[in-house]
Amino acid sequence: MTVTLQSTRFGAVEIDEAAVVEFPDGLIGLGGHRYTLLRPQPDSPFLWLHSLDDPGLALPVTNPHLFFAEFALVLDDDVAVQLGIDADSSVAVYVTVRTAESPADFAANLRAPIIVRDGRGHQVLNQAPGCELRAPLFRADSAAASAA
Amino acid sequence: MLMITRRAGERVIIGGNIVVTLVEVSGQTARIGIEAPKSMPIFREEIWVEVMRENEAAAQAASGRLPDVVAPLTPPATTAASTTPANVVDPSGPGDSGAAPESAPPPSPAK
Repeated sequence: MTVTLQSTRFGAVEIDEAAVVEFPDGLIGLGGHRYTLLRPQPDSPFLWLHSLDDPGLALPVTNPHLFFAEFALVLDDDVAVQLGIDADSSVAVYVTVRTAESPADFAANLRAPIIVRDGRGHQVLNQAPGCELRAPLFRADSAAASAA
Repeated sequence: MLMITRRAGERVIIGGNIVVTLVEVSGQTARIGIEAPKSMPIFREEIWVEVMRENEAAAQAASGRLPDVVAPLTPPATTAASTTPANVVDPSGPGDSGAAPESAPPPSPAK
């Protein structure tokens, strides 16, 4: 079974029904309950978390581990129990990406990652110390360190 | 807005399955206990608003705004739990491993 995703950005896209991700609580402040992950550019680390209900609602996301070697996700015990996740669980973790004119101004939200497992998604609060709401994706200090 | 005056230790029940307890009042601060179904997310307002704004900002992205190829400056963590993206749809065809490309030069970092 396929469903047709209508997108103001990408036009009509056929997706497998198994690729639909249900967000019981929606995204924080945005709502929406049915999304899917699109990868329009096969070689890009960026995907789009795209609403199936609102053709204009889509957020770029990425795998935080690709950009932040130190990234860790720590959940409140209550939240982890509710979501049925423990330290050994295999879940996909994404972070939303704030885009800008220059890649130097791109930022990822490490504070509220999106976890996806078994076709269900949740935007959760990361309790790991120091996780930034707007973490620059391309850090000046990384380049400086590699040049040193 | 419904306004209810409570003393420390007193409760309010909402909808039969949410219990709000005024635990303690000290100066300008009140400690509130909330018992609610686990499926009901509870946030401090300022955090909820921060995340909402970040989500809204991300949702403003145009489809052409993302660089086609961007190499991360930091390598993937090897100790992390599995983050293999499940449920990924590639509208342009199968065959992508999900790994970031290694060939492109990174953009110049901001000073």
